[in-house]
Amino acid sequence: MPRLVIDDLQIEVPEGTKVIEAAERLGIMIPRFCYHKALGSAGACRMCAVKFIHGPFKGLQMSCMIDAQDGMVVSTTDEEAVAFRRQVIEWLMMNHPHDCPVCDEGGQCLLQDETVSGGHGLRRYPGRKRTYHDQYLGEFIAHEMNRCIHCYRCSRFYQDFAGYRDLGPMQIANRVYFGRFRDGPLESPFAGNLVDICPTGVYTDRSSRYKARRWDLQRVPFLCIHCSLGCSTVASARYREVVRIEARFNESVNGHFICDRGRFAYPYANLADRPRRARVDGEDASLAEAVRAASGRLDQISMNAGPDAVALVASDRCSLETLAVLKRISREKGWRHPAVFPRPDLEHKTRRAVSRLDRRLAVSMRELESADFILAVGIDPVHEAPMLALALRQAFREDAGIVVMDPRPVSAPFDFDHVAIAPAEIGGCLSRITEALSALQADSAAQGKETRRPEAAGPLRADLDSRIAGIVERLRGSRNPVIVCGTDIVRDSTPDRAADLARLLLQLKARPCLFFVLPGPNSFGAVLLAESPGRSFSDVVQDIEQGKVKALLVVESDPFKNFPDRERLERALDRLDLLAAMDYLPTSVVGRAHIVLPTCTVFECGGSFINQEGRVQRVEPVHEGGIPVHQVSGGGHPPRVFSHEVPGGEIEAAWRTALEVAGYTNARDNLSILKIMAEEHPGFARCRDIPTSRSFRVLPDAGDRPPVCEETGDRAAPEAADTLEVVLVDRFFGTEELSGYSPVIQNADSEPLVFLHVRDAEPLGIAHSDWISIALEGGGLEVRAGVSAQMAEGVLVIPRHRLLEWQKLGPVPAQIPFGRISRAGKE
Amino acid sequence: MLPQVLFQNRKPRRIATMEEYCRSGGYRVLEDIARGKYSPADICRIVGEAGLRGRGGAGFPAATKWMSVPVDGAYPRYLAANADEMEPGTFKDRMLIHVDPHTLIEGMIIAGYAISASKAFFFIRPSYDSSAMILERELERARQAGYLGDNILGSDYSFDIILHRSGGRYICGEATALLNALMGKRPNPMKPPPYPTVKGLWNRPTVVNNVETLANLPHILRNGPEWYKGLARTKTGAGTKLFCISGKVNRPGCVELPIGTPLREILEEHAGGMRAGSEFKACLPGGASTRYLTKDLLDVEMDFDSLSAVGHRLGTAAITVFDQKTCLVGVTLNLLQFFARESCGWCTPCREGLPYIRDLLWRIENGEGREEYIPMLRQMSRDVWNAYCALAPGAASPVESLLTFFEDEVREHIRLKKCPFSRPR
Amino acid sequence: MIPEALKRELLERTARAEHPREMAVDVMYALQGYYGYMSDEAMEEAAEIVGMTPLELEELATFYDFIYRRPVGRYVIRVCDSAVCWMEGYQSVVDHLTSRLGIGLGDTTADGLFSLIPVCCIGYCDRAPAMLINRKVYGELTPEKIDRILQKLATGKPAAGEE
Repeated sequence: MPRLVIDDLQIEVPEGTKVIEAAERLGIMIPRFCYHKALGSAGACRMCAVKFIHGPFKGLQMSCMIDAQDGMVVSTTDEEAVAFRRQVIEWLMMNHPHDCPVCDEGGQCLLQDETVSGGHGLRRYPGRKRTYHDQYLGEFIAHEMNRCIHCYRCSRFYQDFAGYRDLGPMQIANRVYFGRFRDGPLESPFAGNLVDICPTGVYTDRSSRYKARRWDLQRVPFLCIHCSLGCSTVASARYREVVRIEARFNESVNGHFICDRGRFAYPYANLADRPRRARVDGEDASLAEAVRAASGRLDQISMNAGPDAVALVASDRCSLETLAVLKRISREKGWRHPAVFPRPDLEHKTRRAVSRLDRRLAVSMRELESADFILAVGIDPVHEAPMLALALRQAFREDAGIVVMDPRPVSAPFDFDHVAIAPAEIGGCLSRITEALSALQADSAAQGKETRRPEAAGPLRADLDSRIAGIVERLRGSRNPVIVCGTDIVRDSTPDRAADLARLLLQLKARPCLFFVLPGPNSFGAVLLAESPGRSFSDVVQDIEQGKVKALLVVESDPFKNFPDRERLERALDRLDLLAAMDYLPTSVVGRAHIVLPTCTVFECGGSFINQEGRVQRVEPVHEGGIPVHQVSGGGHPPRVFSHEVPGGEIEAAWRTALEVAGYTNARDNLSILKIMAEEHPGFARCRDIPTSRSFRVLPDAGDRPPVCEETGDRAAPEAADTLEVVLVDRFFGTEELSGYSPVIQNADSEPLVFLHVRDAEPLGIAHSDWISIALEGGGLEVRAGVSAQMAEGVLVIPRHRLLEWQKLGPVPAQIPFGRISRAGKE
Repeated sequence: MLPQVLFQNRKPRRIATMEEYCRSGGYRVLEDIARGKYSPADICRIVGEAGLRGRGGAGFPAATKWMSVPVDGAYPRYLAANADEMEPGTFKDRMLIHVDPHTLIEGMIIAGYAISASKAFFFIRPSYDSSAMILERELERARQAGYLGDNILGSDYSFDIILHRSGGRYICGEATALLNALMGKRPNPMKPPPYPTVKGLWNRPTVVNNVETLANLPHILRNGPEWYKGLARTKTGAGTKLFCISGKVNRPGCVELPIGTPLREILEEHAGGMRAGSEFKACLPGGASTRYLTKDLLDVEMDFDSLSAVGHRLGTAAITVFDQKTCLVGVTLNLLQFFARESCGWCTPCREGLPYIRDLLWRIENGEGREEYIPMLRQMSRDVWNAYCALAPGAASPVESLLTFFEDEVREHIRLKKCPFSRPR
Repeated sequence: MIPEALKRELLERTARAEHPREMAVDVMYALQGYYGYMSDEAMEEAAEIVGMTPLELEELATFYDFIYRRPVGRYVIRVCDSAVCWMEGYQSVVDHLTSRLGIGLGDTTADGLFSLIPVCCIGYCDRAPAMLINRKVYGELTPEKIDRILQKLATGKPAAGEE
């Protein structure tokens, strides 16, 4: 490890560390624009010049371009270096507009900081400034090219790091222009990161434009809850309104970046039609009145029909606090344990995944980046866990091989082999891979005999054999393979199959190798707290229909969003004696509930969530809650309402209100909630000890506990040749619940397509982007078809999109006969 | 008549044919290679002994570059011939192609063999389209004669040359930018490591040589390193050099002379001396990115080491001569206009610094100059040396030397608030 | 759309290249030869042939000097403005051309015949001042010589050969 001296301080750094990085470890921040930890060195801005006094390099050199080496003596404060850096700033400021007062970057602008700290204050350049035309880059990002200082961070992030190909440098010399071929929305779902990495105000967040200066914001280290990965963010609020989400570096989870769903979903917290007043039977009430009413009626029903007639419904967007409290009160009141998952299979698969994960097996997303072979099954990364796609891309950039086994027309910003097979086939393939690999292993352990090819077995198509053999070979040849497994579209036993393979790989490679993607931000927490076997919402519906359940307390959950049979749901809810809803969203359930108890968003009350690798992450509130000043005052400021109370400020975290509904009046402080959590699951005891913005994993230690396999009869592939199996899927935008409420995302979202294979479409006379109509149980569905050859045959891929009435589907799993799909006349 | 090597087949107003080239001993070396007379290592050794230095401007020893291809380097390997000649004042590559294209083609095959390359790219600038068409025609002839393609002359060496027309930019002549251009990427230079000889085109070992360098190879191998070294007029030099003489002389043109021929002799004997009424004021001795060379150094020997000993560079050996009636502020402004326009836009000193310098020079030339611009120009022409590649330092050379040797002329502009020279018509 | 034969030829050449992107400039030259300049549509067509996005190709098209992204005349007159030609009368060549053609630098004549653009050193310093018209170079320019060249080109007679 080279040892060098920077500004009289000695440091030893790993081989290959750049001098700029070594200095940073000493706390010396060498000015820079183009250098970025994730993007590496470019040598473009020349701002990080320092003086090399002794050692293999001499004189003024760029500290981002030179590896730290033994014997180097470096001065960052040398007069020549300081003067040169001042000159660089003057050059950059030749053309930079002095529009800081109207620039959103002002106050958080690296260029501003370096200009001031470098001492460049007087303009000497007598010439005119360069001007550019800006482009429309979509709903998320505003473009102001005049501010550009050509550090190339944007194109290096966009093309090299993220792998998208519609933004880059054009022109030459001092006319270099960063933009698109023509105006239009950026195609990358990670484009929002341009806002964070641009060292000045070329790319700014349109959703937060002109709203606040950085120093006016309440900024809190935060957590993204828009998929199961749990990326780190910084949330900013002003005047009781969340105004901006930025990426926050997390060395285990997301690295430096986040996806656009995570960045632009936040406006759900600011909606004008958010439930802000409690309601009882359609009349506004104070929260206390509504709590009393709910409490009384639930007790009444418990008394009359038995506590079993009261069911709780929650969701995986509930915090761990809320889920723990619901578990506690349901047990103590005798109410039905909260149903978190909309479907039994989701609950089952999540539970299996969680139970199979342990400390030796679990791979963090950042570790995934250094895998050399990745087999991803039943997952469409960009749509289900967007940052996973970016992590896979980093592995790909380091020459990792990637195989995706999934029926969907998967597209991703990296090259991969797509094994497009139906959901029912995935588990079988995994088993065959495991068998072949362990047979090979046994063989070579025995006497190093010639390798046996995996035998073709079962009804799987013959062309699969060679592909499976290929995967086996690649797994064998890799040092650091990882199995990525989704839980949405796969069959019930697939997570177990993936875990079996991962366990074998762990034996062979002695490295963690399993990465699950779960349905939601707190699915992991939900199954840790669930009774076994857990119940899903469809069980609840059945119980309502059978008259066993008479009252529902729905906590931060919207069955209308995710229950596949809208008619049946409505009929069931109509039968209830009491429908009480607690939520911060204006959901359909809130709309029809007898009693509405508004709750706080995570921004207002904080909370803990467990991501898909078992990482418990807790965040503090960003602001105190209440109706945004902007809405109270009708846009004017200051508001003309004067009172002791903050408008809308009586609303509390769901867990507090839930405790009150259950009659606990003295267990409402933070200490008590930590106690409740620890009592409900011993793994949460550590929550007391860790500061927020730190995390820990609740995974069991390895132990060599044999996997507890639950034998589950998987649903077979449809036998009938004249039907398509419906595969309900998530999309980057439009299916995740919270972001669906974000106006900016609604504007950016594109039309949902229902996909089918070209060989399935042709006999029906359906071509890509044709309007088709599908006769579902609950009525006809008119939608545009996506026709692709890069997907499995025999499936109909329907996104659970908010603009698509997929809830007409009726009972799932569903098969659609070809006869019920036809071209629609619509154009 | 001085020994003509590269120009030995020069014919007035026409191109030497392949037959003429062969009659003069052409492709003999290739035949020897095909017969197994030389191993690639032999070629490297002989060329190394001959002391051949790169003719593109930097003067890096050719054999040393070849030998930096790792012995266990990956295949296929590539050779790129750099004919992106865009240094103002320079036209030797064009002359070479128009005089004797096959000496170039054979040179490329020899270099390709030396580094075990299977494919070469001939990278040519678009304004040399007529040269490109000649080459395409002659390459086809060489292919038909079995000098190019699979199993050259029955040997097991296969090699072909592909002509690549550039989209046209000065920076493409920079070796690493040229490789990016060939790969269809933006031609920004790439700072080593990795060196192109280790990871070049498509991450394979790649050697970039100037075409004049390549044209020397058949002759070195035909006549031996001692002969080649003996061609030079100086001890440290080797071979001949194509000098392009332009500006205020009687006979501008491209001449082949022993390396180390004194500047005065080149101008007076080979370029016909100064034009009537013109008096030597200064010259750029090696293209636009070298320093102005003044009268007191007229006796300097034109080779790499002699020039560097007096603080100058041989560069491309394109000598542009200015007379006492030429405004050097104007010339420098013109050069900076060129460099600023041709900056690839990657790094700050080049992209922003050069236009800054150009602007100050423009003001001085157009009567808006101020005394404080002089120290600014001086400092900035030092600071642009910290650019990413050699373009900006090259651009700084005329500016710095203008301020060193002709400060009075600059001050005169500022004092008079106009250019003291009548504009050249 | 370019003719099918041309497209086929370009696709074949692209398939033979080490990497399709290697052909980016060649394909643009071919389409420019056909259309006269690289329109947005031409860019998209070319991008498809070499498997690049239009943006990726635009990064190159706008970098290079000899790819025209705006319409140019049938004859693109490129006058060398580098040091030697500048010293030897660049300005008078441009003055003469602008007055003869009635256009400024960067413009195209109304009849679509001529565009006038400066170019950096074209390597004809021994015959300065020089200019390039499409693929041909003309050196030692005088007003009379320029007139003769323009005359020949405008009347459609075979362009004067390179001397």
